[in-house]
Amino acid sequence: MDFLFCCLHRGSSQRNRFSHQTPYDSSLHGSSGEHRGREQNYPVAIPMASLGPGSDYSQDLPRTGPYGNFTDEPEPEETYTPYSTFHMLDYPYIHGISSGSEEVKLSGHVCYSDSFIRRRNRRPPDEIFSTSSSMFETDPVCNEEEDLVGSLASMSTNERIKAIQKMPETMRKKREIRNKVLKEITKKSKHRGAQSTQCLQGAAVVSARSFYSSLSSFPLQSFRRFGNTLSECFHQLRLWHKTLKIIGAEFGTSVLSYFVFLKWLLNLNIFSFLINFGFITIPQFLAAEPNNLSFTGLEVFTGAGYFQQTVLYYGFYTNATISKVENGPSYNMQLAYIFTVGIYFVICFLILLFSMAKFFSRNINSQTFSVNASKLLCTWDFNITNEKAVKLQQKNLHTQIKESLTEVNKEVQNFSVMERVARIATHLLAWLASLGTAVAACAAVYFLSINNLKLFMKGYRNDLESQAVMLVLPVIVSLLNTLIPFFFSWLGHLEKFQTPGQHIYVTITRNTILKMSIVGILCYYWLNIVATSESQCWETLVGQDIYRLVLVDFIFCLLGSFFGEFLRRIIGTTVCMNLGLPEFDIGRNVLDLIYAQTLTWIGILFSPLLPGIQMIAFFIVFFVKKVTNFVSLMRNCQPPRKVWRTAQMMTSFIFLLFCPSFLGVLSVIGVTVWRLKPSEECGPFRGLSSMYAAVDEWIQILQSYTASKWVVWIYHNLISSELFFFILSSVLLVVIYLYWQIIQGRKTMTELLRKQINNRSASSSRQPAQEVPDYPERAFERNQNSSYNELWSLAVALPVDLVFALRMVTQQCQELQQHQHLTFGSRAICPLVATGALEGLSSNSRGLSTQEGAGQALDTNLHIL
Amino acid sequence: MGGSASLIPRDLLSEYQELTFLSKQEILLAYKRFSELLPKEERENACSARVSKSQILTLPELRANPFQHQICHVFSTSESGDDSMSFEDFLDMLSVFSDSATSDIKSHYAFRIFDFDNDGILDRKDLEQLVNCLTGQGEESQLSSAEMEQLIQNILEESDIDKDGTINLSEFQHVVSRSPDFASSFKIVL
Repeated sequence: MDFLFCCLHRGSSQRNRFSHQTPYDSSLHGSSGEHRGREQNYPVAIPMASLGPGSDYSQDLPRTGPYGNFTDEPEPEETYTPYSTFHMLDYPYIHGISSGSEEVKLSGHVCYSDSFIRRRNRRPPDEIFSTSSSMFETDPVCNEEEDLVGSLASMSTNERIKAIQKMPETMRKKREIRNKVLKEITKKSKHRGAQSTQCLQGAAVVSARSFYSSLSSFPLQSFRRFGNTLSECFHQLRLWHKTLKIIGAEFGTSVLSYFVFLKWLLNLNIFSFLINFGFITIPQFLAAEPNNLSFTGLEVFTGAGYFQQTVLYYGFYTNATISKVENGPSYNMQLAYIFTVGIYFVICFLILLFSMAKFFSRNINSQTFSVNASKLLCTWDFNITNEKAVKLQQKNLHTQIKESLTEVNKEVQNFSVMERVARIATHLLAWLASLGTAVAACAAVYFLSINNLKLFMKGYRNDLESQAVMLVLPVIVSLLNTLIPFFFSWLGHLEKFQTPGQHIYVTITRNTILKMSIVGILCYYWLNIVATSESQCWETLVGQDIYRLVLVDFIFCLLGSFFGEFLRRIIGTTVCMNLGLPEFDIGRNVLDLIYAQTLTWIGILFSPLLPGIQMIAFFIVFFVKKVTNFVSLMRNCQPPRKVWRTAQMMTSFIFLLFCPSFLGVLSVIGVTVWRLKPSEECGPFRGLSSMYAAVDEWIQILQSYTASKWVVWIYHNLISSELFFFILSSVLLVVIYLYWQIIQGRKTMTELLRKQINNRSASSSRQPAQEVPDYPERAFERNQNSSYNELWSLAVALPVDLVFALRMVTQQCQELQQHQHLTFGSRAICPLVATGALEGLSSNSRGLSTQEGAGQALDTNLHIL
Repeated sequence: MGGSASLIPRDLLSEYQELTFLSKQEILLAYKRFSELLPKEERENACSARVSKSQILTLPELRANPFQHQICHVFSTSESGDDSMSFEDFLDMLSVFSDSATSDIKSHYAFRIFDFDNDGILDRKDLEQLVNCLTGQGEESQLSSAEMEQLIQNILEESDIDKDGTINLSEFQHVVSRSPDFASSFKIVL
């Protein structure tokens, strides 16, 4: 209540000035004058017009050029003053809304032109200097400038820097504002009689800059400096920067996003390789036994033989406690193994979660994108700098525009019942066929692998034949993975989807199902059949299987990009043109990457150095794909068409990586660690009932030391306690529910704001232009305009903050008071009204317009009173 | 890069960092690239020199851009109106096109770049010119006048909320706010 009241009060008293910002800020943070806590992306509400006319150096402003006609404007002071208080987002709008009223229109022009002219201000006044307008506006605008400087001065250092950065101004202007703000701060601190006064006297202006830097809090500064040095170091290492820039310049952002994703995976693998190498492999080297198997060279492909006795596989690791010095610190291999893998997965989980959340929040608005033609306004990809690529993009845009124009002209197709039935039947058949193929592929893989295992168990020899047999399974799996997607895309063409988007999403879903079910059946085979077989060391067998899969998949990827993309392009462009020009299929390529990453994650437990191999593979894939893309560009192939939208792409990539892939891997790892019995004769966990038993034993040991009682306590009461997890999950559920409700509220609000914008635009287009003769009425119209503008900028700043929504409702209230001539005298009633209005908005009157909703709520409140 | 670092005074560098969205490295790189555009004898005081428009447009980042003239025009503070750029103008430009600039400021400048006649609104002529830039100036790539008419009509129908036949800054920003790709595509990195 207090908060609302505060909101309202400030809102009403400062309605014109800063009405976007001040009430919001002050109500949130009290009257301390600290404007903290605003989100960075939120448009800084600095009344830009206040920087414009009449500030001390724009007095010599030449008001001519493209805007010269405004100098003849009658009574400029009347039209200027009110608008100079508007938010930077708003002032051009005045021009728009009052399409008929000539004077207001002109003033809108002037206000906007001010912002435009400001840049030109510094060109010498070689044109006529308009006294009449600038004389009049000097006073109020000076105040505005002071206000701006004042508000900037009261911000914290960081906030201020950000606010100044965000001004659409030239460097010189920004510097001027900054220096003024610094002067203001110096003045203030003098008033306060701060200790720094003495050292500042005499040098206030000149040393403003250095004073400023000393003012900013020390830790922040040093932290920043540290960050700078760090980024400097990274800058030297940033090999990628240039490569990625070239890719962006030549193929545009959509292909770039594939490479960014690839780079992201590469970095992830480098990280996990370093972790595994550092904490598992290096200690193992210290305790390594000699390897007496011979190396023939074929092992590189099969991963068996010589490699069995290396750090590549689980089976080689010791279960001993490694200590170099007698009675010195020791290193428990079991714990190191389990904790390294565990912590790695926790870190991965967090990384995925945060990047997913980041991307989701970034394009939260994207679902509402329904416009087509106006997309052109922001469609140009400024990254592209290669001339050929620019030509291609222009050609693409040209065909797109033509297509969309013909689409608009086409009638909406109406299907008869028969056609609809036929359509649904085709879809059903296609789904059946694709699911059937997936099942068949799984069955094939399953029987092949069982057969493979039998062969393997029978003759445990190292000859060429058995090694060739080992390679059959991965080759078949990779073949299925490469060929079935072609079948799926053929099915997709048969189905004749209504939109290309549908086609793409359905194809991707089918491919995901296929890949994940193949991986799933392989996991089932590993965990249920290999693990219970009477082999010496089943973990190593699984590790070898995964190694082969990864390697063959990599080879197929190279072959695929060579034959599938590179050669086909050359043939398609030179020999037979009717093959058509293939595009770089981002969706399929990304799915391949996700598949490879899934295999690596599963393999980490069985073969700790697998990320290192995957890292090299990704590195090679990166450059091979770059070359194939480059060739296609040189051959005038199409870059991928519009269907993939960059911002959504990264989101869906990471989501796919998280949802089926990572979560599936977690469950596989969970089963392995908690349920399965490790082999008796190899690996760090030999002799234990399960891998997790190592932790249990460790806790048992810790119990005997008093110093580590807290670890035991945490283990018993938090980690292994059901009650704790029960409470935790119920708290989480409550939080999720609350957030969900908040999101629902915001959605309603967004809907209402949208509707209102539409209503207003409809009404403004309906009303013919009319001259407004006398001043008070014009003021009223201006009021309307200002609230409209406010509404407008709210919509621009969507997603709205809840506080924003509240403010809006409060303003609705005020409007109601004005319009219906309610004489409530006291403002204290308004918080009540506002909450009532909000309730009315969120619950009953979703369908109603805001005004009506607020009106209803108002009525109910009157009854209460 | 170490050599050029000494050419920008330390406090000036930190000031640039404060006033733009650029990092120290980006500013230094910009300085290097900028001074390369100058003739040899002027390189010593690149901070105060101006580079002519034709020189600026030799940058590979701008060379093929269909909006190159508008970009120069919007960011130039040249007093004679020849669209030449000083180092600070150059930094202003890079700052707006940088990764870390907010999409608010990006859309503001995008609007000004698309506003070919500098009258503060996108009217039909501006839109026509914009579409021509997007599809290329060649004979075969030009849209026919009927198509152009239809296209501009569509654009205005969707984005001109107050129905005055033009698109103003806030309408433009509204359109941009609904296109999450904008921030990543409105980007020029040295």
